[in-house]
Amino acid sequence: MSFEVLLVQAVVNGLVLGMLYMLMAIGFTMAFGIMRVVNFAHGEFYMIGAFVAFFLVTLWDVPYVLAIAGAGLATAVLGAAVERTVFKPFYGDELNGMIVALGLSVILQNLALIAWGPAPRSFASPFGGVLNVGPLVFPNERLFALGAAVLLVLGFWLLMARTQVGRAMRALAQDKEVALMQGIRANRVYPLAFAMAVGLAAVAGALMAPVFSVSPFAGHTPMLKAFVVVILGGLGSIPGAVVGGLMLGLIESLAGTLLSAMMADILQLALVIGLLLFRPWGLLGQREREG
Amino acid sequence: MKLMYRIVASSAACVAGLAFASAQAQEIKLGVHATLSGAGAVWGQAMLGAAELAADEVNAKGGLEVAGKKYRVVVTSYDDKYKANDAVTAMNRLINDDKIKFVVGPLGSAAAVAVLPMATDDKVITMTMAFTPKALGKEFPYSFRPVISSAEFSDPQIAWVVKKLNVKRVGGLFPNDESGQQVGAANAKAYEKVGANFEAREYFERERVDFVPLLTRLFAKNIDTIELNGNAPTTAALIVKQAREMGFKGPIIRTGGDATGEIVKVAGKAAAEGVYVHQTINPADAKVADYIKRFQAKYKSEMNAFSPMFHANVQMLFGAMQQAKTTTDLDKIRDAMASMKDYETVIGKVSWSGEQAYGIKRQLDAPFYVGVIRDGVSQIVAKCTLKSCD
Amino acid sequence: MRSLPLPVRYAVLAVAVALLLALPQLLDNAYYVHIANLTLINVILVTGLNVISRTGQLSLCHAAFAGIGGYTSALLALRFGVPPMLSMFIGAAASGLVAFAIGAVILRLRGVFFVLVTFLFGQIFTLLVLNAETLTHGANGLVAIPPIRLGGLSFASKTNFYYFALCAAVLVVYFTWRLLRSPSGRAFACVDENLPLAESSGVDTRRFQILAFVIGSAFAGFGGAIIAHYVRYISPDSFTFWESVAYIVMLVVGGRGSLAGGVVGALFLTPLPEVLRGAQALSHVLYGFILIAVLFVAPLGITELARRLRALSRKAA
Repeated sequence: MSFEVLLVQAVVNGLVLGMLYMLMAIGFTMAFGIMRVVNFAHGEFYMIGAFVAFFLVTLWDVPYVLAIAGAGLATAVLGAAVERTVFKPFYGDELNGMIVALGLSVILQNLALIAWGPAPRSFASPFGGVLNVGPLVFPNERLFALGAAVLLVLGFWLLMARTQVGRAMRALAQDKEVALMQGIRANRVYPLAFAMAVGLAAVAGALMAPVFSVSPFAGHTPMLKAFVVVILGGLGSIPGAVVGGLMLGLIESLAGTLLSAMMADILQLALVIGLLLFRPWGLLGQREREG
Repeated sequence: MKLMYRIVASSAACVAGLAFASAQAQEIKLGVHATLSGAGAVWGQAMLGAAELAADEVNAKGGLEVAGKKYRVVVTSYDDKYKANDAVTAMNRLINDDKIKFVVGPLGSAAAVAVLPMATDDKVITMTMAFTPKALGKEFPYSFRPVISSAEFSDPQIAWVVKKLNVKRVGGLFPNDESGQQVGAANAKAYEKVGANFEAREYFERERVDFVPLLTRLFAKNIDTIELNGNAPTTAALIVKQAREMGFKGPIIRTGGDATGEIVKVAGKAAAEGVYVHQTINPADAKVADYIKRFQAKYKSEMNAFSPMFHANVQMLFGAMQQAKTTTDLDKIRDAMASMKDYETVIGKVSWSGEQAYGIKRQLDAPFYVGVIRDGVSQIVAKCTLKSCD
Repeated sequence: MRSLPLPVRYAVLAVAVALLLALPQLLDNAYYVHIANLTLINVILVTGLNVISRTGQLSLCHAAFAGIGGYTSALLALRFGVPPMLSMFIGAAASGLVAFAIGAVILRLRGVFFVLVTFLFGQIFTLLVLNAETLTHGANGLVAIPPIRLGGLSFASKTNFYYFALCAAVLVVYFTWRLLRSPSGRAFACVDENLPLAESSGVDTRRFQILAFVIGSAFAGFGGAIIAHYVRYISPDSFTFWESVAYIVMLVVGGRGSLAGGVVGALFLTPLPEVLRGAQALSHVLYGFILIAVLFVAPLGITELARRLRALSRKAA
């Protein structure tokens, strides 16, 4: 296999991973940017999305694409409920909000363990087979995930940039006081924002379920990656999550292919440490304002 | 006076009751120390099933008869979650809290390395699944291994497969822990002994699910065959799946424990077609088929092929107790069990060997098989002994 | 306690001390003594976390610092024959040093960022230990770590170790008690209460945050070293994110506002997973629910709850 072929394969795989990380990071950073919630349970919503898709496809023969939408919607509803009951009481108390999120993460993961057992489950994506472009080989199910993620991010961007709801969210993120004075109803916008955030994570889970298989522990690594992306891109910055996600996916894939799996892991974290030392607010984030 | 009578009468009744009860309720405690959750759960379930079915067998006859007394066998299990720390705590509990002297377990190589010193100090007989050579030795005289480890089956199996498939360059992915390192090393030596090149080796963290970059690296080294070796069942399955998705058409071999069920389930029948596997047991054999039926009836789930091996070991343990005429003298029981030759068990006649490799006879000597996955099921293509396959 | 007359107070104290000293004899089962030992070790670790939380910070890598202490002490004892009695303190110092190096850099970050970075540091620690195989044996961990010895006395057995751990825990709690009453301790409280106000009053908030972080993490290192020489086996799995979460749960449930919080939290929650060993996932769900319930009802933990109940009963009386 020539070096160029190796490189192209690594880049494409990196883009697929990058989109996945991006979806996770956008949701995570949104929850922080708009509601100042550090959602430690974000990974569990990825896992729930994957399981919902799994059950829809295997138990009720729902077509895969519909199952993905179903997973996203169901998890979004759950998210809205969780936001109103568990997170709302802690707005303004970031530290305790974080601890509550930790508790939620433990509960969700272990409930899944009790309900579904620890053994990984899998199902086949309808997009089986591979696409051959000359010497290059691309698994169709990963290409589908890539395409779906791109569409989703575009749709998300349109929503944030062009709709009233999106503007309301951005306003709350920029300056809560002023936004409230303008008449934006936080009690309507917050649950919607949180629902969207975890819905994105759930869709990511549903997209990757046939690729990686599903277990109650599946959410831990995506959440870890989301953290890294968000530190890279800047906590609260959605463009940062997009750029950071792609960067991380590419770094991981290129390092893993050209160096080794271990080096890929170390490099990612070294990058984060470096950034924290010299630019802790991330590449596209805002400097933390004192007071 | 009436009160006095009442007290004396009831105390006498109590004492009599206790004496009667203790005469009836003599127990042999059998512990199961294995992974009952997470990636290795199918193996743990196999071990638990082996112990419980063996207990059921003897309890159905009123108990195990040793030196004229009958003993009920009671099984207690602990989950080590495939983590050595939890293995240490679980063994602690088994030994000190439950006072158990006979353990089916530990399961993983890392767990074995962590708990065997403790088990030896406290004189506890263990029956381990750990493939690491460090699990057996003169320093662990109570440690037995009823499964054929890669150190034993690598050479004959790989020699046979290499000849049959004309394998020249092999690539493999290994978890970066005790199991991965030991099994990987054994396999590599075996391949090199018969002239195949096994330089393409990549290590990864246990939880990894994306093997595309690693497989890409392997393919860049021009391998013609993939070796799955001792990876956990789901990991092996994902490797098969992702390799086939990347267009790899060469043979895939698993010179490691039973993972056929998972591979077919996760990778799909098409991808799993033609994978060469190590088969521990022959399901067509009458006694084995009967055991499989009993297992599936009791647990309503697929049986991992290691189960009959542990069942055989427990059968030997009971036999040893009967031969040594004791359920408490660990040294006598151990020696009786180790000296068994051609002992009839659920998997046929077995003995203990291993003097050359480990300095002590604690490795089960039983036949094994090479199989090929066809249409989702492994079919036997060769029968092997520790020396060679035919 | 303050409401009871003096002689009664002394009597209660005497009984408590006697119980503590006689515990191993009262518990006829070595496994229960083992649980007591784990509880005492957790008291040390959670008290360390308590010190850090006094300046309003939350450390999600507390277990990593325990790991630094544990690995340092174990490696010194295994490779260089350093007596564990000495290597424990070197381990604690190592943790403190690393905490100082990191703290000096990341304590400029406020609140949320600091916590996220501690989380990442925990992951870095795990990755480093897994990969530095020639030094740490990677995923396989270190076995046959020597037990603690003092003169001719070995603290390997569970009962002997109990007394050692009891002394260590008492010393750590006492030290923390003195610390919190000292000028530094009062500065901690200032920083926690209102950071901008403390700063404008001329308090060097960073210095005190670093101090708290270093001391707390050094306690963690000490605890980690003790674990290493007691269980005599450690691996990267002994010091993961989930262990850090467990310590946080113990602290929050026990009570962040008081010194007793660490002790209470460790006491209530250490035996729980062991008792429910058969239903592990269930015990974790319970952990999570208790944590959230405490945050809703009594954010400063059981000790706060106890204080409120006593205040109520006094009002009623």
